[in-house]
Amino acid sequence: MVVWSLLGVGALLVFALLVIAKVPLAYNLRNLTVRWRTTVLTALAFTLLTALLVVMLAFVNGMKRLTTGSGQPGNVLVLAEGATDETFSNLNIADLAEIEVQPDVVHAKDGRPMASRETYMVVNQPVPADAPLGRPKRRFLQLRGVEDPLLTGEVHNLRLLPGGTWFSPSGARLDPEAGGRTASAHPMIEVVLGEGIARELGRDRSPERLASARNPQRLDVGDVFVLGEDPQSMEADGGGSPRARKWIVVGIMDSAGSTFDSELWAKQSLVAPIFGKDTFTSLVVRTRDDQAARTFKDFLNNAGQEAEAGKEPGKPAGGGLKRTTVNALVEKDYYEGMTEMTEVFLVAIIIVTVFISIGGIFGVMNTMFAAISQRIKDIGVLRLLGYSRRQILVSFLLESLVIALVGGLLGCLLGTVANGWTATCVVTGHAGGGKLVVLKLVVDGPILAVGVLLSLGLGLFGGLLPALSAMRLKPLKALR
Amino acid sequence: MTSANGSIVRVLGVSKSFRRGSERVDVLNDLTLDVPEGEFLGLMGPSGSGKTTLLNLIAGLDTPDQGEVWVGDQLVSQMSEGQLARWRTRHVGFVFQFYHLLPVLSAYENVELPLLLLPLSAAQRKQQVMTALELVGLADRIRHRPGQLSGGQQQRVGIARAIVTDPTLVVADEPTGDLDARSAEEILDLLVELRKTLKKTILLVTHDPRAAVRAQRLLHLEKGKLVEQA
Amino acid sequence: MKFFLLIVKNVARNPLRSVLTALGSIVLVFVVTVVWSVLSFLNTVTTEKKENLKAIVTDRWVIPSRLPSDYERPLSEGASNPERRGDVKPLDYMTWQFYVGSLDPKKLARENFVIAVAMDASKVTTMMEGLDSLTGEQEEEAERLVAAMKQNRQGLVVGKNVLRNMNKRVGERVKVSGIGNFKELDFEFVILGVIPEPRYDNINVMNREFLDETLDAYPRTHNGRKHLMADRRLNLVWLKLADTAAFTQVAKQIDSAPQLRTPTVKCETAASSFGAFMEAFRDLIWGMRWLLAPGCLISLSLVMANAISINVRERRLELAVLKVLGYRPWQLLVLVLGESLLLGAGAGLFSGGLTYAVVNWVLGGIPLLGFFGICLVPADALWWGAAVGAATSLAGSLLPAWSARSVKVADVFAKVA
Repeated sequence: MVVWSLLGVGALLVFALLVIAKVPLAYNLRNLTVRWRTTVLTALAFTLLTALLVVMLAFVNGMKRLTTGSGQPGNVLVLAEGATDETFSNLNIADLAEIEVQPDVVHAKDGRPMASRETYMVVNQPVPADAPLGRPKRRFLQLRGVEDPLLTGEVHNLRLLPGGTWFSPSGARLDPEAGGRTASAHPMIEVVLGEGIARELGRDRSPERLASARNPQRLDVGDVFVLGEDPQSMEADGGGSPRARKWIVVGIMDSAGSTFDSELWAKQSLVAPIFGKDTFTSLVVRTRDDQAARTFKDFLNNAGQEAEAGKEPGKPAGGGLKRTTVNALVEKDYYEGMTEMTEVFLVAIIIVTVFISIGGIFGVMNTMFAAISQRIKDIGVLRLLGYSRRQILVSFLLESLVIALVGGLLGCLLGTVANGWTATCVVTGHAGGGKLVVLKLVVDGPILAVGVLLSLGLGLFGGLLPALSAMRLKPLKALR
Repeated sequence: MTSANGSIVRVLGVSKSFRRGSERVDVLNDLTLDVPEGEFLGLMGPSGSGKTTLLNLIAGLDTPDQGEVWVGDQLVSQMSEGQLARWRTRHVGFVFQFYHLLPVLSAYENVELPLLLLPLSAAQRKQQVMTALELVGLADRIRHRPGQLSGGQQQRVGIARAIVTDPTLVVADEPTGDLDARSAEEILDLLVELRKTLKKTILLVTHDPRAAVRAQRLLHLEKGKLVEQA
Repeated sequence: MKFFLLIVKNVARNPLRSVLTALGSIVLVFVVTVVWSVLSFLNTVTTEKKENLKAIVTDRWVIPSRLPSDYERPLSEGASNPERRGDVKPLDYMTWQFYVGSLDPKKLARENFVIAVAMDASKVTTMMEGLDSLTGEQEEEAERLVAAMKQNRQGLVVGKNVLRNMNKRVGERVKVSGIGNFKELDFEFVILGVIPEPRYDNINVMNREFLDETLDAYPRTHNGRKHLMADRRLNLVWLKLADTAAFTQVAKQIDSAPQLRTPTVKCETAASSFGAFMEAFRDLIWGMRWLLAPGCLISLSLVMANAISINVRERRLELAVLKVLGYRPWQLLVLVLGESLLLGAGAGLFSGGLTYAVVNWVLGGIPLLGFFGICLVPADALWWGAAVGAATSLAGSLLPAWSARSVKVADVFAKVA
């Protein structure tokens, strides 16, 4: 990896400097200690800079991991022809059936093809009025209507956390609080949540509800929230608005590290009509492996073309797809393609870092110039005793590198505090579309290495000019 | 080490001038000097007479516009900067009016500084440093920093540093200028002592009549030329 | 006055240090200014207007919002009931229907996407954000485009970036094939001109009649089958309202309208819907406001503190001499603070102005996502820079200034070896 080799080069450089140095390092270190206030102030600037960089990179890292962790090897995502995102896709049931029976699709233990029919919707949720301060007024939720949650879970390789279950075949259960009115049955919709969104929704709870909650960290099995409305229920005073639909959590997915972490899964036949969607948006099928996925994807994409040309695709695998025209993608590619946002952020981060670094460089330069002008006599003596110009250069360069390194290491340490923080963001892909995700900031090795590299680099550049000027001092002038 | 006639320093027809603004000032004018080995030579003269310049030329800190400077059998005036640096470490010891010790290093470390440039083992360095410090009578203060030493003690450290590499020549520029009467006497006695025991050649630039008295030979520099004084 | 001159001279004494400090400050103030500009801009966009505000009516629950065409009439009247007293009608309204196509149906890449808003041409200059407040040349151009659209059903007014991607010129024709939900809805447009507002650089405007006619004609060529989008073709309805009271009333009217039930709709102010969009970036904005900007401010203080403390340390002797001459401690404090203020505020002011000039005039503003348009650095930046520079330099130099104040007179005799 580029970062590690650069760090290796940097370490080698520092090591080389240490080896060449004849002026004892103790001289530099002790001077740093004597002028401790200046040293601390300069190092602190490095600390801040490095910490900021680490946090920003951790954010982007979290985004990247999320998108790369969502695609399952071997999965093929089928969308409607011309659709580049699940939101804008409408699939034909006949098409789905045909694709599912293709031999490329592997079968589950019970003999059924591992094919998941899904309806993906983005819905608007107004946050309850009694939510604590600072909560958003409304948010966009990712809702996935699923026919058979067990099968879908298998296709996406997602399991539930212990203590939960997938929703029942009916996808709903009676509301014990309904009482009275029998005309409107008020069933509650059973829903399975990704862990991330469970935590996010959990924070909507008022302090009173939190106090008596099963799990204060997040919504858990048995918790109820509202979303959408029940058109069959009207307020007693008539002419009012329909009552909000209740949803009951029956399971939490162990989904950290994928975009599914921010999704809500419920019975497709129940929720799709509520939100006006009467078709499936996506079909996800599992093939043997990455290679098989690619082959199958090509087959599906070409089948439509050949069908349009009037020919039957005479594939030995048998069974030509007739009029089906779909947009099939290798699932991993689909998710990994959602890096457009990541790239935009990375560019912004680099720009910001460059600017703050420039500020830091000037700070270090100031310190080193001042240090040198304080110690002109020392430089003169050293030159007199026979230390060469290069030795003087190396000595002061090392001094600035030490400040930078100490500050930078502290900054990396400070930055790791952000590891594990959650943040919401939108990931978008090159072909449009986007998902609102809850991501975790991840500080890992390469990021820390970048932090250290930045400090070293700044120490080098900031200290170079002053060290060069020290090098050029004439011993005679220095001692006057 | 010495040349044919026993001189350790030979300055031959040396001239040096400086620019001061737009003027050219001739500081040394066709100057010639011979210093035999082991001599304690004193240089006196009014300020601006060029005695420091002469010292710099002999010590390899500067090069003459004309003429030659020989120290031992080396033509110092023709050496490159790099060569001079290496040469100085081994062959010249400096003693300054303001001591010029590195404030953050201890007495031991200050004396050790020139040795770090030589291919010696740590044990060898230690031996030479301790010897030098014992000679100047500061073996009990090796860990002290200059800030913790009196003026006279600091100058002793300076002298120890000047002799630790066993140089051909010791050059002292107003070594007593910043000391009180008693310390000054002690330092001068020390220099005389060192010359006797180590057979060092000492070049002393000074205003101080007490220093002048201890020199074997006293030269005056006037208008760029040397005048001997009995 | 003399005192001030002394301060100025001191700053000029070590030009290298002063320049380095100033440069460091300029860069850091630049970052802070840009961050605050973006935050301030987002704030403005999401702040409710008090008068002539626009409201957006969309599906209450689902995204994307798809409403039936027969919602248009009641919404254009704000779902007001003429028999109810106190009911209010909107001052004006605009409907939006989205159409998404591609220049090349075989290659579905971002550069090929054509997103068009199908609307009533005359509303472009009366209801579209940014286009209803143009002046001078731009206003004339907009009017011209509206007239051209009214004349030519197939007219398309394109966004600047779209024209570039299409590789065509104004006056030429372009074919677009519908994708996704708009499959089999293909159009041939005539490019009439470019939208004179940067926030619309990536979208286009077409005549709704063109879209509606094509949708209605679809069954004739497809065995009587209606197109997917035929029934729910309205996406958004914009309303212009006199003031917040009118908005609240109209929102209530729409909420309780019986004919607006399938689907139910929500009526919110434009500012509020932008706010909802920004919710997704809430954490990012928090990070900018509370981590990045303060981080820069602290760095700035550190740079100042460093420079000033070095200054004071080097001039201890001088400061002691000043005391001997009779200067009071507070005067020494002021001297040091003055230097740092001059440096900091000066650099800050310069930086604020530089940022303003460079970002606004050279770069043309900061492009943000989506419909927000271009974010410009506000004129406030000029005093932000000076204020930030002054505040951080004061903060940074407090301690060194205090130590300057307490220099001991005895130091004047210190021997510097």
